[in-house]
Amino acid sequence: MSQRKIIHCDCDCFYAAVEMRDDPSLREVALAVGGDGGRGVVATCNYAARAYGVRSAMTMSEAHRLCPDLVVVPPDMARYRQVSRQVMGIFRDYTPLVEPLSVDEAFLDVSETELFQGSATLIARDIRRRVREEVGITVSAGVAGNKFLAKVASDWNKPDGLFVVLPEAADDFVRALPIERLFGVGKVTANRLHELGVSTCNDLQAWSREQLAERFGRLGLRLYEMSRGIDPRPVVVSRPTKSISVERTYGRDLPTLAACEAALDELVTDLALRLKRKGENKPMHKLFVKLRFSDFSTHTQERIRNLTVLPQREDFLPLLRELYGDARRPVRLLGLGVRYRVDEPGEAVQLRLFD
Amino acid sequence: MKLTITREALLTPLQAIAGVVERKQTMPVLSNVLFVAEPDSLTLTGTNMEVELVAHVNEGLAVESPGRITIPARKLSDICRSLGEGTQVELALQGDQVHVRSGASHFTLSTLPAEHFPNVEEDAESFRLELAQADLRNLLEATSFAMAQQDVRYYLNGLMLEVGSNYLRAVATDGHRLAMSTLAVVTGSEEVRQLILPRKGTLELIRLLADADTSVMLVFGDNHLRATLGAYTFTSKLIEGKFPDYNRVIPRGGDKTFIADRQSLKATLQRAGILSHENIRGVRLQLQTNELGVFANNPDQEQAEDSLPVDYVGESLQIGFNVGYLIDVLNALEGNNVRMTLSNANSSGLIEDVDNGNSVYVVMPMRL
Repeated sequence: MSQRKIIHCDCDCFYAAVEMRDDPSLREVALAVGGDGGRGVVATCNYAARAYGVRSAMTMSEAHRLCPDLVVVPPDMARYRQVSRQVMGIFRDYTPLVEPLSVDEAFLDVSETELFQGSATLIARDIRRRVREEVGITVSAGVAGNKFLAKVASDWNKPDGLFVVLPEAADDFVRALPIERLFGVGKVTANRLHELGVSTCNDLQAWSREQLAERFGRLGLRLYEMSRGIDPRPVVVSRPTKSISVERTYGRDLPTLAACEAALDELVTDLALRLKRKGENKPMHKLFVKLRFSDFSTHTQERIRNLTVLPQREDFLPLLRELYGDARRPVRLLGLGVRYRVDEPGEAVQLRLFD
Repeated sequence: MKLTITREALLTPLQAIAGVVERKQTMPVLSNVLFVAEPDSLTLTGTNMEVELVAHVNEGLAVESPGRITIPARKLSDICRSLGEGTQVELALQGDQVHVRSGASHFTLSTLPAEHFPNVEEDAESFRLELAQADLRNLLEATSFAMAQQDVRYYLNGLMLEVGSNYLRAVATDGHRLAMSTLAVVTGSEEVRQLILPRKGTLELIRLLADADTSVMLVFGDNHLRATLGAYTFTSKLIEGKFPDYNRVIPRGGDKTFIADRQSLKATLQRAGILSHENIRGVRLQLQTNELGVFANNPDQEQAEDSLPVDYVGESLQIGFNVGYLIDVLNALEGNNVRMTLSNANSSGLIEDVDNGNSVYVVMPMRL
């Protein structure tokens, strides 16, 4: 394969950026978007808030403790989605090969783009300029020969930055990367790697494919490749939906199983709405229920059902009961969802006689 | 109860019954065989509550005192088998134990009262049909391999028997492939009847059927099928539910038909199949003029390429299949040459014997 040119674009603190764009009074304060009222969670916060240590997914009460002057705005998803469409539209002016990862993030394959004499660096610079001028928010971009390096690169000079990993510099760049930067390496894997004396990709390169596979399974093979800057995954324009779910964090813990069961109806209705709007036209392979207890321990229970009709309360009830068991603990968050069977490319699929 | 019987007269029915009796029982009495001794006959019964097998013995037998008792089926069958050929076996009930004596051997087995043994309830007979055992056996053997096993679509975990005025048909499918075989026979049935015989019942019935012209009487009830053959009366519960409309899935539009030597095709598929993914078992067929290529590979990057000459003129086609499904069909067929009809890579293939259209097989492809 000839050298590919991949750009990873990532909007800087997207929700907060949209709020700051639309309300100048928010630009000079520490801002968090999320549910307020003690139990809410930070969805995004601006860099002023980050300076205090506020992070996404933190509870709002914790955020307030770190930053007493924090201004909190409730999220307005409809508006963010609209801004997202505008940003993605700009991306598509440069290449049809745009793979959105979420509302504020996408991979672009510009290998075949002829604009700017095919210079991915100049394309990325132009994208950043247009998003700033036309949308009024900032985008950080990473340019590299594959998705993995492009994603690492976009984070390199964040916010409002551009970083290019030139093919000839890729090797040195990768070697210096701490393993925490690799996809799929969380705390647990990082600790295990540290125990093996591995803290950078350079260290990781000393390990053979077999040694890594033995210790880390599939992830091991990915580690082997990533530590050498290899990532053959293509930019995929439309990815099938893997799952659709709804969840709710309650302002007040649900004290008992009965309270959870009572709360189910509302979630089932929400899920049905989402399924009607965004559901895939294929059987729902699995149903699942997610519970987070007041101590933040989170559990899910799923069951294969292959449903072709909208799931009902009765479909989730047994899962909820199994999950709750005899816990007798208050529940903080309740979620429901469906998972579709995703046919991985290259995976064999036996076709059916009766469908 | 006290009786003497030749080893062979007892062993044959006991072994047939031991097949019905399941190893893991929820009710202890179900691991036992029921003995009912009359002055000049002995009846043995085994059941798993779904399938019941009754064997009648009246030769090689002398009943000293009649009686009824249940005896552990597998142990008694194992004992019987291990005794010398042609020996006499005496069974005598004393208290709640039965004494089995033969020459110098003496066994004492536990029993359970006959009253504990469940009866299959009688149900109204709606239709009966007599045919040669070999014909029924062929029909079931040609199709039963395609039955589903523990599928949530419970009605697929069995074999569908359909009676029309001039045919008896068996159909089995697991949702990926379908086997259908038809026997031309004047049945006298004025309507088309269908029943679904459960998997276990189907397999046990095949074991009983001789490959001979001796007859078997099939009695159709609302909830049961009964087969009377020689000394045996076999009864199976039926699966309630609607079997899928098999006619709908038999492909009619295939335009790519090739003829191959059955054994060569089977051997080629078996060779290539060795290097298919061990669970998925996908092979790729490449059909082109007078040649069928067969390709397989597995996650270890190993691959197999093979081909055989076939009679075919037409467009080329590449299509994937579970090689096991194709081999099953080629095992069920008996003639020298098979005909396979395909249309495209996403539509089912139809496989038949070239000279005998009684059995047809439908296999859905695999996207590889």
